[in-house]
Amino acid sequence: MKKGLAYRMMIYLSKRMIACDEASYLISLREDRRLGFIRWAQLNMHLLTCRLCRKYASQIRQLSHSLDMYRHQCNQENCMHHLSPEAGSRILEELTRELNAK
Amino acid sequence: MSDHDEYTLDPQHWVERYGDYLFNYAAGRVSDRERAEDLVQETFLAALKGRDRYRGDSTERTWLTSILKRKIIDSYRKKYSSRESAFGETEGVAFDGDYYRGEDPLGGHWQEGKGPHSDSLLPEGKLEEEELSGFILDCIEHLKPNLAAVFIMKMIDEEDSAYICKELGITPSNLWVMLHRARLRMRDCLEKKWLT
Repeated sequence: MKKGLAYRMMIYLSKRMIACDEASYLISLREDRRLGFIRWAQLNMHLLTCRLCRKYASQIRQLSHSLDMYRHQCNQENCMHHLSPEAGSRILEELTRELNAK
Repeated sequence: MSDHDEYTLDPQHWVERYGDYLFNYAAGRVSDRERAEDLVQETFLAALKGRDRYRGDSTERTWLTSILKRKIIDSYRKKYSSRESAFGETEGVAFDGDYYRGEDPLGGHWQEGKGPHSDSLLPEGKLEEEELSGFILDCIEHLKPNLAAVFIMKMIDEEDSAYICKELGITPSNLWVMLHRARLRMRDCLEKKWLT
């Protein structure tokens, strides 16, 4: 019996099923770059069957989202952190000393 | 007179003009306040030393920030133990014995209790901005310094991958593996923080 492309693809991928260590690596990798078809398919096959890795994928997406918020906060012009007056004076003193030495 | 001569630096007013901005920038990348202050001081002194190299291609603040960025990465680099060869992690290998089972029939699968506990990493909408910042900074500080440097450059400063590889002398494969390891640990740390 002649096997269809989808069937042959399923056999090919099932022979190459990946474990959680590789799946979590691919979850991280896809945050930064596009996965090739084989890797994409391997990851999705794994995710269909692994609840922990689905949770992991969801958490990694949330981590990226939290970092977006964090980046926004720490790059704000109205900054949250201020140099203490003592540190400011100390740095200014040091800078002035260096300037005078030149 | 060259075109660049019109761009002059004004070191006398750096602390007043950029002190808070640079401190905020540093404090968003290192958790220790004193270390952030030292980094700002080192930045101003390095800028003063290298002021002849300022060509006016960017604003004074951008130029100072670029020096600070380098200082922050160097501070993580210095913390990095020389026991672990240079900056590179194992090429292309994603396996991490801290989280996955070794060579048994379930090799490569999550170790008992080491996988994620819930779909949600942080309680959405419940964390105050300041609390979130504290958690993130604290978890970054708990990363190995080499992972922290890569994580900050890629995830917070959004630097280009090629630039990071060049700066840290690592290959793209090293970079992806290190980012993966950093995310694994950040996820673990953040989950533990809000669960406890």
